[in-house]
Amino acid sequence: CSSDLESLNENIKDPLAVPGESLFTGAQKSLVDQVVDLNVNNNNTKLWAQYLQETTYTDESNYDQVTRTIPAQHWSIMYKDVLKDLDEAKIVIEATTYSTPELEALKPNKLIIIEILNVYTYANLVETFGDVPYTEALDADNLLPKYDDGETIYKDLVGRLTAAINALDESTGSFGSADRIYEGDVAMWKKFAASLKLRMGILLSDVDEAFAKTTVESAVATGVFTSNDDNAAYEYLGSDPNTNPVYDNLVLSGRNDFVAAATIIDAMNTLDDPRLPLYFMPTGDGIYEGGGIGEPSSYSSYSHVSAQLEEATFPGIILDYSEVSFLLAEARARSFEVGGTAKEHYDAGITASILDWGGTAEEATDYLAQPNVDYDLSILASTATTPWKEVIGTQKWIALYNRGLEAWTSIRLLDYPLMATPADAVSGFLNRYTYPIIEQSLNGANYSSAASAIGGDEAETQLFWDLN
Amino acid sequence: QEKTISGTVTDQLGLALPGVNILVEGTTNGTQTDFDGNYTIQGSEGQTLLFSYIGQMSVTKVIGASSTIDVVMQEDAQALEEVVVTALGISRDKKSLGYATQEVQGEDLNTVKSGNFVNALSGKASGIQIRKNNNLGGSTNVVIRGNASLTGSNQALFVIDGVPVNNTNTNSKYQGEASGNYYDYGNTASDINPDDIESVNVLKGAAASALYGSRAANGVIMITTKKGKDAQGIGVTVNSGITIGSIDKSTFAKYQNQYGAGYGAYYGPGEDDFYNMEDVTGDGVADLTVPFTEDASYGGRFDPNLMIYQWDALDPDSPNYRTATPWVNAKNGPITFFETPVTTTNSVSFARSYDDDGSFRMNYTQFDQSGLMPNSTIKKHNFSMSGSFALTDRLTVTGYANYINTKALGRNSTGYSDNIMSNFKQWWQTNVDLKDQRDIYFDTKRNVTWNPASTDAGSAPIYWDNPYWTRYENYQNDSRNRFIGNVSLDYKFTDWLNFTARAATDTYSEIQEERRANGSVPTSFGIPDSAGNRGNVDSGYGRRNLEVTETNYDFMFNFQKDLSDQFNLKGILGTNIRRSEFQSIYSATSGGLSVPKLYSLQNSSGPLALPVENDERVGIDGIYASASLGYNSILFLDATIRRDHSSTLPEDNSTFYYPSIATSFVFTNLLNADFITFGKLRANYAEVGNSAPFDFLYDTYNVNIPPGAPSTSVDNEKKNPNLKPEKTESFELGLEMKFLRNRLSFDLAYYQTNSVDQIFGVPVSRATGYEKKILNAGEIENKGVELSISGNPVRTDNFSWTAMVNWTKNKNEVVSLEDGIQTLQLGDFQGGVTLNAEVGQPYGVIYGTDYTYLNGERVVDPADGQYVKTSTSDQNIGDTNPDWLMGISNKFNYKEFSLSFLIDIQQGGSIFSLDQYYGLATGLYAETAFINDLGNPVRNTLADGGGFINEGVNPDGATNTSRIRADRFGAFGYRRGLPDKAFVYDASYVKLREVALTYNLPSKLLANTFLTNASLSVIGSNLWIIDKDLPHADPESGLSAGNLQGYSVGSLPTTRDFGVNLKLQF
Repeated sequence: CSSDLESLNENIKDPLAVPGESLFTGAQKSLVDQVVDLNVNNNNTKLWAQYLQETTYTDESNYDQVTRTIPAQHWSIMYKDVLKDLDEAKIVIEATTYSTPELEALKPNKLIIIEILNVYTYANLVETFGDVPYTEALDADNLLPKYDDGETIYKDLVGRLTAAINALDESTGSFGSADRIYEGDVAMWKKFAASLKLRMGILLSDVDEAFAKTTVESAVATGVFTSNDDNAAYEYLGSDPNTNPVYDNLVLSGRNDFVAAATIIDAMNTLDDPRLPLYFMPTGDGIYEGGGIGEPSSYSSYSHVSAQLEEATFPGIILDYSEVSFLLAEARARSFEVGGTAKEHYDAGITASILDWGGTAEEATDYLAQPNVDYDLSILASTATTPWKEVIGTQKWIALYNRGLEAWTSIRLLDYPLMATPADAVSGFLNRYTYPIIEQSLNGANYSSAASAIGGDEAETQLFWDLN
Repeated sequence: QEKTISGTVTDQLGLALPGVNILVEGTTNGTQTDFDGNYTIQGSEGQTLLFSYIGQMSVTKVIGASSTIDVVMQEDAQALEEVVVTALGISRDKKSLGYATQEVQGEDLNTVKSGNFVNALSGKASGIQIRKNNNLGGSTNVVIRGNASLTGSNQALFVIDGVPVNNTNTNSKYQGEASGNYYDYGNTASDINPDDIESVNVLKGAAASALYGSRAANGVIMITTKKGKDAQGIGVTVNSGITIGSIDKSTFAKYQNQYGAGYGAYYGPGEDDFYNMEDVTGDGVADLTVPFTEDASYGGRFDPNLMIYQWDALDPDSPNYRTATPWVNAKNGPITFFETPVTTTNSVSFARSYDDDGSFRMNYTQFDQSGLMPNSTIKKHNFSMSGSFALTDRLTVTGYANYINTKALGRNSTGYSDNIMSNFKQWWQTNVDLKDQRDIYFDTKRNVTWNPASTDAGSAPIYWDNPYWTRYENYQNDSRNRFIGNVSLDYKFTDWLNFTARAATDTYSEIQEERRANGSVPTSFGIPDSAGNRGNVDSGYGRRNLEVTETNYDFMFNFQKDLSDQFNLKGILGTNIRRSEFQSIYSATSGGLSVPKLYSLQNSSGPLALPVENDERVGIDGIYASASLGYNSILFLDATIRRDHSSTLPEDNSTFYYPSIATSFVFTNLLNADFITFGKLRANYAEVGNSAPFDFLYDTYNVNIPPGAPSTSVDNEKKNPNLKPEKTESFELGLEMKFLRNRLSFDLAYYQTNSVDQIFGVPVSRATGYEKKILNAGEIENKGVELSISGNPVRTDNFSWTAMVNWTKNKNEVVSLEDGIQTLQLGDFQGGVTLNAEVGQPYGVIYGTDYTYLNGERVVDPADGQYVKTSTSDQNIGDTNPDWLMGISNKFNYKEFSLSFLIDIQQGGSIFSLDQYYGLATGLYAETAFINDLGNPVRNTLADGGGFINEGVNPDGATNTSRIRADRFGAFGYRRGLPDKAFVYDASYVKLREVALTYNLPSKLLANTFLTNASLSVIGSNLWIIDKDLPHADPESGLSAGNLQGYSVGSLPTTRDFGVNLKLQF
């Protein structure tokens, strides 16, 4: 009998140790993929924001989030494929002794960029689920992590973000090519962090205006995005599995599952929006037509997404200047001190969106001159209780096309534009993801406390920041 | 001078013996005693009468002057000594065993042949559940006494002549979860040649298999091969058989024939029609077209007067190019797609015995099978050789060598997508004629499908290929070269002590190749990522190479000594060294093929994906001892102990011991009741330890295909460096009795097995950052009763009837999982159903959505007449475990004829049907087109008197009277309120499994030929499913072997197989 029998058990094909940077690269891609995705098993927010609708199998267009366990998928990707890998990247990088002082000097910035993506990801979890595991998450020795209060988490995240912004050292670099968004550019990450902080501040403005005001104003003071060049755009490659997931969903799949949704097409037709041909393909009759919400639609009869969206290397956007401009417009509408006027930011947001999608400055100018687009005229024309919510909300929603999660959050916060009720809706408008069903069986007691803490684990339950 | 002799035959107690054979020696003149033991026979003085009877010593009497010869026969103790083969290949007197074993003779397994001899075990032994499936060369699930491991293998261990052989199944885990475009590669026990099998002994409990150590916790199938020592004549046996299959239509879709393609009336310019208006003829005028893109039959009502453009109007090579054709149900439906499966088996063997010096046997068998699906075959060549030679008086060498070459082509793809059977059973257009699809494929060799994405000529398919294209272009193939062999030396020190040394190996290399031709429906293909996702491609090539080897070295002392007149002691002291290696590499093209239809990795159009390499080595060093003490052939006591040192556990826990004790009490002699021929009580207790699978201790990372920079991820499973061995504790009681000189016997067993400290990936909240954590946790209990009854109700000279019943009931319960965890998900399937182990429930309960109930009645929403299903899919909607299993076999011998048949029964158990879930929704089946209670077609609009009323109550408690719309897809299937529960069926069945009629040429006819034996058999298998609940499919037809059972999707129909077999010996 051999004495070193146990050595047979060695796995000689998979690594026991890897560079922390490679874990960061993996986590970053998982995050962007999930935010961008259109796969009905992963992310249906482009259907729920009524940009797109399904042709034949219309369950998800009708708010079914149970059959395909979509919340479970989102939860799993965010915790397991993003947060865990970021956490591991942090642990490994902290423990690494780099070969030169120059490389060693990059370490703090790397850890802070990891921290910023952590905040982005947790913020998303709170925005979609409400209370989630936070202080006890990511610990393999605690199999029953408790859920923390959503608002408490969110404010803690804002604090972490502020600390991160303050700690970034722009005099040196960070990840370099391991970072597929900014190539390790620390100044860009600082703008990103500030813009994210702006967004998070705005989200809290109904629930805690004072906190929101401070957050938003300090973010803007730090310096948020100022042009489309600042956009957080992930660089995809031309071949599977590193293409934009939409390319996989729409082109590689060979399926015709999605058509434009009537809600956005009708809105853009009314506005004669120059982005129509940039967003969608016309029908055979040369017009733009969207499928009825929740209804089956014959693929050949309706508009589809435009050719640029179907490109393998179409960048994956997780935060952009147009959105930042609309957030600033909201800030001004709420009288936060961020400089400029609501109209200026509103105009900037629309213009940035048109340009970013390939439109021209002239198109933007003409569009802004339309009475039904002009900020002031639109405010006057609005019959909403808070007119700016309708005006900014509508244009922000158009600009957020292809950014389902963010659009869904914006619709919930601003309550505009109004979404149509799907033909066979299985619930009311979705105000959140229901908790993953497996949480009930794997983490039952904590699940139950969280469900009651947020007011019931229902799709219609409004989250703490969504007061109206 | 011939005269009539008569008399009475009695046993030693003076009771008349009916059915005693009496033969005048040297003649064919014979008779039998009647019911009172009387006989008469013609004979001459000086001739000898031979009286013979099973269980009694034969008696000879010389005919003298008297015309009366009465005979008293004495019981033959020797004849009752059944010798069976037990663990490590050691022969034992059956009566001395304190545990359950059951023997099945080779001829009962190889008369009716299938591609896998294991299938033939079904119903022939108690305590064993065989679940075959209909995949060509598919795997068979073999579970003895229930599932005892939560996530590990529950498959029985296969052993040939004492040496374990590999029975792994290399199917992807996603194949078992019904993901599309995977194949069932079968399990490797199917390599065993049924013609080589002398007998199979099933060792059921842990006590029986304890000497095999950890791996035999699931019971053992012990195979004893044929040897040359019993050779007769020249020693040549030729066996030739052919089997032809015909589809059992109750296991295939029965279609409605009134409506064609579509999902409802939402096509055309007004979105209110069943048809589209598109210019097909190129004249600028819109034509009436079938919605080709839709893979459902919920469209327009057939009307032979309606001329419409169908798929065959689009392709210039089609005879109906730009031609409208009548809108009618297809003449040649999917059932015409299948071919007649033919299996031929030819074998020849040579055997010779050299008296005391030794013997040898050689066999060659050729097996050739063509499947139901076009372009599918399995071919096997099996060469085997065994021999035994006495080198000296004390030293004997024995060897066995078996080479098997297996080649398969065109296995059917399984699961949900890209499976022609899912296509036919879930997503089909009843207007599509298969013959037209066949003609156009063979005419053009292009993928001209009924399901194009657009009306453009040469359009890509949208969901489904032309099925002939799939079969002839997107086929897989695999081949395996395998060697199984052993050499053993046996040295006899004295008449009570011998030593055996044995080296054995089982090694094979296998290649599996999968391909898709350019222009196929894009589907997931190639290497899955860590979440199981694969890229969508319209073409590709993938290959997997496997190298699997297991080597066993055994050294064993065996002694046997009578200590006194009363006491006998037997013992074994031995060691087993086992080394297993599993190496595989899988690589596949990415993004399609650059050069069409060139199937090589270097033809990848995208950068080649990272291959998946495995190199797993496992070793166990075991030492064992056993002692058996016998007292007066009445009481036997067996004790064993084994110590294993395993390579897969942490050093501190890697050595462990487990004992067993078994006792057998033969009480017959103490009873003195005439009608009891034999009686034995047995009891045993055993513990079996089990080590971890390979690489369960230390974390490794996943390496991703670089997205522009090196990328890695934390694995989904958290490993555990502190594992300890699993343990199974089992206890068994048995009673074995034989009556009326073996005319009736039974064997009854009760057992309880508890498997604790299981090593498995406990699912954890994903908020931990992991999916699973490897732990020692959980307990499964199996309790059961097994009963085998055999009888010989009639036994006369010309006619005998033997009957046997095997009955098995196993009750399984998941006693615990990890603290705080109630449910372990075993598998996740399309349709939102999962298979689970839940604390307090049997292993393998189905979760999904259920109806909601009010006072026990199903709730219906009055607004739309739809059922209100639960909002979550965690409802327990079925238990996949059967209540009991039964096999009833009968054999009749009349002169040279013998007729046998086997009825196989499963009672209970649930099965979810995805075919029903989707196929009822898409309006394929006859159940979706009927005349409703108002006398109208149910598919009429509600305004037109269509629809139907779901039985149940409204939320206010009133009986539901709202009609549900049935004019669009879904009302009968997965949409519109029906929960998963609606598609869970009872998996019970009663089957006429086997019938065999054999004619043995009478020896008189053979007397002047070179033949010593000749027989012709006419056989049938799976002839009749007498009863079942699952519509349009065979409840037995699962996806694969393994722990995921109870899910039916796109399975091939069952065939009734008819065969002829000729056997000649000379």
